[in-house]
Amino acid sequence: MSKRKTKRHWKSLEERNANPDVLKVLGDEFPPGGPRQFRRRDFLKAAGFTMGVAVTTGCTRAPIQRAVPLLSQPEEIVPGRFLYYASTCGGCNAGCGVLAKVRDGRPIKLEGNPEHPISRGGLCATGQASILGLYDAERLQHPLKDGKSSTWADVDREITADLETIRAERGAVRFLSGTINSPTTLAGIQEFLKGFQNSRHVVYDALSNSALLDAHEKTHGVRALPRFHFDKAEVIVSFDADFLGTWISPVEYTADYRAARNLETKHVSYHVQFEPRLSVTGSKADQRFAVASGELGLLLSHLAERVAHKEDSPFASSQMDAAPVKEAFLDELAERLRQARGRSLVVCGVNDVRQQILCNYINHLLGNYGTTLVLEKPSLQSQGSDRELETLLDELRKGEIKALFVYGVNPSFELPGGESLERDLQKVPLLVSFAQRLDETASLARYVLPEPHYLESWSDHESISGVASISQPLLHRLGETRSVAETISAWRGSPKPGYELIRETWRNNLFTRQKKERDFETFWERTLHDGFAEIETDAIGGKPFSIQSVQPIWRAERPEANSFSLVLYPKVGMLDGRNAYNPWLHELPDPITKVTWDNYVSIAPKAAARFGISDGDVVRVDTNAGVAVELPAYIQPGQHEQTLAIALGYGSKLSARFAKVGPQWIDALVSVGDKGVVGVNAVLLLRFGNGILEYTTTNVKLTRTDKQRELACTQTHNTLSVPKKLQPKGSGPRPVLQETTLAAYLKDPHSGVEDHEEKEDLWPTDHPYRGPRWGMIIDQNACTGCSSCVIACQVENNIPVVGRDEIRRNREMHWLRIDRYYSETDSGQIEVAYEPLMCQQCENAPCETVCPVLATVHSEDGLNQQVYNRCIGTRYCANNCPYKARRFNWFNYAHDDQLQNLVLNPDVAVRSRGVMEKCTFCVQRIQEAKIEAKRRGEKVSDAAVQTACQQSCPSQAIYFGDLNDPQSQVSKMMANPRRYRVLGELNVRPAVGYLTVVRNRPEEATKGSKEEHHG
Amino acid sequence: MSVQGPNSSRLVRYLSNRFLTLALLVALAFSLMILIPKFNAYSLPGNQRGYEPAQPIAFSHRLHAGELQVQCLYCHSGAEKSRHAGIPSTNVCMNCHRFVSATLGAVRAEDEVAKKEKRDPARVVSAEIQKIYDALALNDRLQPDPTKQPRPINWIKVHNLPDFVYFDHRPHVNAGVTCQKCHGPVETMERVRQVEDLSMGWCVNCHRGVDRAGLDGNENFTSRPAPAAQGNAPVTHRVYASIDCSTCHY
Repeated sequence: MSKRKTKRHWKSLEERNANPDVLKVLGDEFPPGGPRQFRRRDFLKAAGFTMGVAVTTGCTRAPIQRAVPLLSQPEEIVPGRFLYYASTCGGCNAGCGVLAKVRDGRPIKLEGNPEHPISRGGLCATGQASILGLYDAERLQHPLKDGKSSTWADVDREITADLETIRAERGAVRFLSGTINSPTTLAGIQEFLKGFQNSRHVVYDALSNSALLDAHEKTHGVRALPRFHFDKAEVIVSFDADFLGTWISPVEYTADYRAARNLETKHVSYHVQFEPRLSVTGSKADQRFAVASGELGLLLSHLAERVAHKEDSPFASSQMDAAPVKEAFLDELAERLRQARGRSLVVCGVNDVRQQILCNYINHLLGNYGTTLVLEKPSLQSQGSDRELETLLDELRKGEIKALFVYGVNPSFELPGGESLERDLQKVPLLVSFAQRLDETASLARYVLPEPHYLESWSDHESISGVASISQPLLHRLGETRSVAETISAWRGSPKPGYELIRETWRNNLFTRQKKERDFETFWERTLHDGFAEIETDAIGGKPFSIQSVQPIWRAERPEANSFSLVLYPKVGMLDGRNAYNPWLHELPDPITKVTWDNYVSIAPKAAARFGISDGDVVRVDTNAGVAVELPAYIQPGQHEQTLAIALGYGSKLSARFAKVGPQWIDALVSVGDKGVVGVNAVLLLRFGNGILEYTTTNVKLTRTDKQRELACTQTHNTLSVPKKLQPKGSGPRPVLQETTLAAYLKDPHSGVEDHEEKEDLWPTDHPYRGPRWGMIIDQNACTGCSSCVIACQVENNIPVVGRDEIRRNREMHWLRIDRYYSETDSGQIEVAYEPLMCQQCENAPCETVCPVLATVHSEDGLNQQVYNRCIGTRYCANNCPYKARRFNWFNYAHDDQLQNLVLNPDVAVRSRGVMEKCTFCVQRIQEAKIEAKRRGEKVSDAAVQTACQQSCPSQAIYFGDLNDPQSQVSKMMANPRRYRVLGELNVRPAVGYLTVVRNRPEEATKGSKEEHHG
Repeated sequence: MSVQGPNSSRLVRYLSNRFLTLALLVALAFSLMILIPKFNAYSLPGNQRGYEPAQPIAFSHRLHAGELQVQCLYCHSGAEKSRHAGIPSTNVCMNCHRFVSATLGAVRAEDEVAKKEKRDPARVVSAEIQKIYDALALNDRLQPDPTKQPRPINWIKVHNLPDFVYFDHRPHVNAGVTCQKCHGPVETMERVRQVEDLSMGWCVNCHRGVDRAGLDGNENFTSRPAPAAQGNAPVTHRVYASIDCSTCHY
């Protein structure tokens, strides 16, 4: 074993600062805190009597089971087999292509379409979880009028009559929606609004990119969002753009980003991130700097000045403030950018036009337009205009609007209007909402005309110019809903079903723009099969870059001494609040903080120390405008010292349903907050002014309140470290996560790897793997922590939702968890690495030897099997597992919602109380592949099996396959010099290997860690 | 359990000290009295054998599979392709029963009566076959009747395995295991009954036997259909039946 000091990784500040109380708790997998004291004799008496009672309730004969076949079975439907249909995800505006797995006439799982140019096989957590929205009993089943159920005929009649009056009176009609990139719906809306003199379609995004679009209008004369190609970039500089997490099209960008970081070909990009809070993208950056949000503009100017200087371009910079980052670093960065001219990408995620123009300027100087940013074939994924929204809000305030149609957005929840906005909305005589559920805006609307879920209706998308995708229904509509296009066609007098409307648009507009197929029907069939079609588009005309638009920013907006600047951001699972109905996404631990079921104020450690705040203390954030919110605090290493960050999307009415989520027992804490909803809505802290939604505020005050709210955070659970009292003398911290730098890797590919030689096997003939032997490799360099694998596993394996209280007691049920480790560099920068951890399917499994009933045994293809019907719940196996990968069913998690049960995977058992469960390497998929191969008379092929997590990863970080096949990808990866095994020194011989994180840093591997605090 | 003071009588003290025990004994006796007659209701292995429920339509396998020699896989086509063999959908029945509406004897009898009465023979429909037409809501001329409501047929499952068992027909059928091996001589049954045990021990014993001595004495079987990967030539495989837990339990 080398004497080199290994880099110390820690999961929480308590662990790092060696707080003895917490370390004690960390060591316990099942922390104490049981029911009140019960005297033993009373207990035995009660037990005896209960047994007597239980026996009398008695067993009866097995109930009669019926088998009801279809009356007329279509040829392709075989009960028990599934079919894949291509569709497009509607979880956000990115428009990733999906393949929906349909079983017995209903979709049960979504998978990314490998051929789709946006998703390329991956799908984000929101997309994976969006299938639950289909089987939601809270979706509206009928149109509502004034809160009461009505019929389509009635509402159509009344609304058309109202519209007639409005048309005659030349009243103002507005259609307010989010970004719509469905050509059919857009065409329908245009036609509809044409019938009114004073009408407009106002588009806004709750997570606005309006400044980016406006900036391009100023610099290039066209208001468009370029399509970013991160795979072509060798140097990526991001100014608070969370492109791997939540910005515009994260699945696409993650796949591209990954392609540009290929260690095998030594083609590794260099990524620098400047941001006020620690985001998912920042956690992957090679260099990350925490700067205040008000300093980003100044930083952009500094970088622009340097690049302009190198490119001999003018840039007025005489009186700029000093840069918040070392000048030497900026010089070096500018030089790297210049060397990678045309192959670099600078992105800015701040919704500020001046900063975006500076960013465009830098890209223009570097010649990136045309290669890494393509404006001619723009992205249509975000088209909102804050300016138009502001005008609309003005009109609402003045009461000028006679009819307002709201589609795909929830302005009452997403905009900082508060009660005055509610009043303004109620002033509109005809307020119609097309919401799927009764959200805040729909509650104010006179008519609610629910639209169907994207999996049960026809729709189309053109998310990127040139790629037209189709969304097809996979089951009959569950309820009397009607899509917006259908509703509009009904109001215009010629009601047509969605199918015909889509075909019409495609025949007239899209079929004509392609040359591959001559016949429309063939084109249509092929598109339905593929899920998308490539069509030609005209390049949008842009003007040459307008230098005059560039305005340097000379001053930084720093907060005063005891104040903070506040940043509002979307979380990976919740986005703008659209997923507030989804329990899976509430329970998904945030990639960075690992907090579930709540939002909170992130505060830097130094600032927390100054104010005497610890995790869970409720604090009050006051802005200058007199708005205040109270939220629990959470200490975030790596955040800028004078920055507070709060997540948007919480506090929604749609989350009131979680008042009773999880097992209900006497001492349970509720998952909702004081107001009966999960989290607190921070939207009042947004500022709307000058035509821009601002997500940052300066000079915000922080005060402690006396209240406390315990945050259900999973980061302190399941530690793989040995408690101090059990550590043998002279042992150091376990190298659970291994990393290195690119410089060290290029010198020696084994650098950073502390793998242990496999000791001699005591039982060499115990497990002869005659057939396939399943193994997995996780490339930690590719993993971005996006957690889509966690949700994919939850959907595939019927993993229950347990609620906040159970998570607080370490009882989350996710089979696959992503451990996030912090570490520090010598210069005090916080670095993050992710380690997805699931059952390692050990060959010498410690769990197999201790099960008293042999419920967990080793299979002949390398899996550690868990037999639920044999398990009696001793939990000795979980005790013995060094990876803490086993989950125990402490309760019978409720499956009362019959509609929601339709999403359950029929190939996986639903476990009852008292049974241990864990990752099975998707054994149901392995069995299916083996049986199909047997049916066809072939050997089971490695490529036929894809575990759910592997399939879903947008970054292709997981490899799975047959270790006994030397040609398989996973066998080759196992031979990769970067490969190590977590806790390899225990000689449990896991079947899962990990590839080290390689950070692209010019200097040598960093030494040890500093003991001081770094805020 | 109540605590009596020093002034209560010996009898009261005696009874109250043993009250709880007495109560439990009574409860135990009571439950035994109810339990013992229910013993035969326990689902022990071997208990489902002989289960022969009456089905909604008195379908005779003896007639169709035995006398008429209709292949098992003609109706139960899922057995080859899927985990569930499935009960055929009504359109499979109608493949023949579009034309066959009664026994030959009944049709001949009607013919003779019609000849005597000098009229066209009327269509004879037997009661059981009429149930098929009713399920599909067909009228006299076997056309769909819009006034009637079609209703699928609720067959009763005879061979029932617990929910935690994921039995798959495909590897068995494709390895050459005959239907009769597990389902018994179905082609002789008027009403289907469960012949074999279908307990886990019974399955595992067969798997072990197959691994030792092959299937019905054959150690190899020929794959059907022939795999395209091998140029459509039938390939011979060694019979192998796994006894891993996760073969059926996952």
